[in-house]
Amino acid sequence: MYRYDEFDEGLVRQRARQFRGQVERRLAGELPEEHFKPLRLQNGVYLQLHAYMLRVAIPYGQLDGAKLRGLAEIADRYDKRYGHFTTRQNIQFNWIRLEDMPEVLDRLADFGMHAIQTSGNCIRNVTSDPFAGAGADEVEDPRPWCEIIRQWSTFHPEFSHLPRKFKIAVSGGGHDRAAIRVHDIGLDLKRNSEGEIGFEVICGGGLGRTPHVGVTVREWISKPDLLSYLEAIMRVYNRHGRRDNKYKARIKILVNELGEAGFRKLVEEEFAAQHESEKVVLPQTEINRIEAYFAPPVFDAALPTSEIFDAARKTDKSLDRWARHNVRPHKIPGYASILVSLKPLGAPPGDATSDQMRAIADIADRYAGGDIRVAHEQDLVLTHVRLDDVPSVFAALQAAGLATANGGLITDIIACPGLDYCNLANARSISVANSIQEAFSDPNLEDLIGRLHLNISGCINACGHHHVGHIGILGVDKKGEEFYQVLFGGRADERAAIGEIAGPGLRHEDIAPALKRVVERYLVLRSSPEETFIDTLERLGQAPFREALYGAS
Amino acid sequence: MSSERPKLGPDIPKAITGWNSRTGRVIYLTADRNWSESLSEACVMTGDEAQEALRFASTDQVRVSDPYFMQVTQDGLISGRETLRETIRARGPTNHPMFGKQGGDL
Amino acid sequence: MALLRHGRVGSCHRVFSETGFGECAARDVIVTLRSFLEDQTSPTPHREDVGIRLRPDDDPALLANNLDAVSLIEVEFPKYTDGRGYSIAQLLRRRYGYSGELRAVGQILRDQLLLMKRSGFDAVAFDHPDTEGVYAEAVGELSEVYQAAADGSISIFLRRRTDLSPGRLT
Repeated sequence: MYRYDEFDEGLVRQRARQFRGQVERRLAGELPEEHFKPLRLQNGVYLQLHAYMLRVAIPYGQLDGAKLRGLAEIADRYDKRYGHFTTRQNIQFNWIRLEDMPEVLDRLADFGMHAIQTSGNCIRNVTSDPFAGAGADEVEDPRPWCEIIRQWSTFHPEFSHLPRKFKIAVSGGGHDRAAIRVHDIGLDLKRNSEGEIGFEVICGGGLGRTPHVGVTVREWISKPDLLSYLEAIMRVYNRHGRRDNKYKARIKILVNELGEAGFRKLVEEEFAAQHESEKVVLPQTEINRIEAYFAPPVFDAALPTSEIFDAARKTDKSLDRWARHNVRPHKIPGYASILVSLKPLGAPPGDATSDQMRAIADIADRYAGGDIRVAHEQDLVLTHVRLDDVPSVFAALQAAGLATANGGLITDIIACPGLDYCNLANARSISVANSIQEAFSDPNLEDLIGRLHLNISGCINACGHHHVGHIGILGVDKKGEEFYQVLFGGRADERAAIGEIAGPGLRHEDIAPALKRVVERYLVLRSSPEETFIDTLERLGQAPFREALYGAS
Repeated sequence: MSSERPKLGPDIPKAITGWNSRTGRVIYLTADRNWSESLSEACVMTGDEAQEALRFASTDQVRVSDPYFMQVTQDGLISGRETLRETIRARGPTNHPMFGKQGGDL
Repeated sequence: MALLRHGRVGSCHRVFSETGFGECAARDVIVTLRSFLEDQTSPTPHREDVGIRLRPDDDPALLANNLDAVSLIEVEFPKYTDGRGYSIAQLLRRRYGYSGELRAVGQILRDQLLLMKRSGFDAVAFDHPDTEGVYAEAVGELSEVYQAAADGSISIFLRRRTDLSPGRLT
């Protein structure tokens, strides 16, 4: 993975010092909260229901053992011994005091981490495919370009006070596991007709109050032109994005108001108008330098199958079931990627204790070359594991309470922190997630159902990405009572779609039984056990499921 | 993006709450214009007295961030449409009984 | 309101005129973009030492062909969170080659000064008990940059490649 050189590290240290000064001015009364707020947000500091929250950047979700141990140390020393992994591949600490924040940032800098641009109206942490570098379907590893974009967007003088936040995701081609069509900008590595690798540029996707699937602004842009093209988009947005209404300030609104063609015209004109001296110069030597950090590990020449693994699966049914859901194919024969579920029954989705972080760090160092990723599904991934080692990894995960066998299943729920923590939430998310997990806790039932993505947000801001869950749940406040709207038919992949609201909201306690009826209806209606929930839904429309949702209780 | 709290009419009893600027802990304005972490010490007000207290709170930036009115009964118990939110702020997350003030805290 | 030029306190006698040049000499006033463009089509246009104030939704491209007449451009920041002025500055400096005084006015806070300097502002209307000291401190907080911009800094992408000496080309 990328290692900070003297330039990167120097800037992280300077940023920590700069923020220390901002905190000191705030606490000395020189900086009113109104002016401090945008500054603290640009460094990931929120004021939530109970305390300040710090969102630490995990660029494109990439971690190693040392970094994860460092995060565990922060959790122990400054928080309550846990952290929350987010849908944007970052981690949040919920209880950090503002007066401790400068020290935390200094400590983060010691292990090459920071909270730069994890919030605020600027270009946020770049996200990517958690299986990057391991997926057999990718055109190329997207991570070097994520890192290049991270650097280019860091402290960009022109784009630090945008109309609203700005999120960029990069996929390596093939299946979209980075939800690039619901980002402000989505980049997809692909070949042009001459076989040269560049990027398709998708723009104007996003969730929140007004969900949109992005549109392709450019079918293909070359690598050397990428950053200049991004500057053209950013400048069009910075100048023309709406600033009169924060709910209409995202780029998706601009794309929608100008129309796809109108927006593309502005971007292309801006791009064409750039003088040679305005272009972002990115020397090939620099690309090579950054790419070298992401060179694949040395893989052993192994057999495509593993006798050890196969034998263990035959004797250990729990291993076998876990392997079915949490062990993913790898491009190198004899290897696999492992999904470490952070969705055990009854716990907040995406939370990990400091002990669990250390356990994963140890397992990753021993069996996975230290390569750990955060998935936008709020799970972790051990990217490169030898099949021979899978039984040992399973045993070690089990010992740490991390072997929940629900990858991609209905209990692998994506959920925001909701009203238990968040100052913007209207309703709780965690307790709804837990009630659904309990309703589907029978492994046989879950196996029968198969792949089903369920997403929960506690308010319209959609941090739980409820619009793109096969089933989405949105918490709303109705005269002081929590209600939950259900959406059907969303998806975040290459066929991205926004789910449709089924009808009136349900009470907290009615959600799990209602979903049980929906799923039972699916099991009756599916054409074969291979037809997934979303496929059946797309074949039949939402009517039968809506009927089941509101059916006799 | 700041969250917007519901407007409370002048006659509705209210307390003023916010966050300790230094630590982020939930605090309430007391009758002697200090801040307490205990809701039971919050000053219950109405009308002009409440407006005047909120003006004071808004200038007390070193001690408190983002003060606002929360609805309470005459006896100082949480009430109104934000009862769940304010109960969670006063106690801690509902999913974890050891975190927040309900668990004795830090 | 103090006026800082290149980090030093200076002064400016010009007054902003909503209604155009009137009987004033160009060097005594600052006019709107609209007044300036109207004046340029008049029989006796002002050809030198013009001062213009741009609002954030003004298009600097409209100035591109007569920047020779202009010696001062003020860019208004109605709120410190309104970032359009940074794009205007980059366009004026890097695309249209404007080399006169570029001044940020409006709601300007200490923590914007570095962004402004990087975007090509050489002057800023900014108040603080220690204006020069605070300016120097604020613009010095981050010493390296990942992007080329209107201040002539060399990006880290380039600094890594060669033995380009530390510091900036200004």
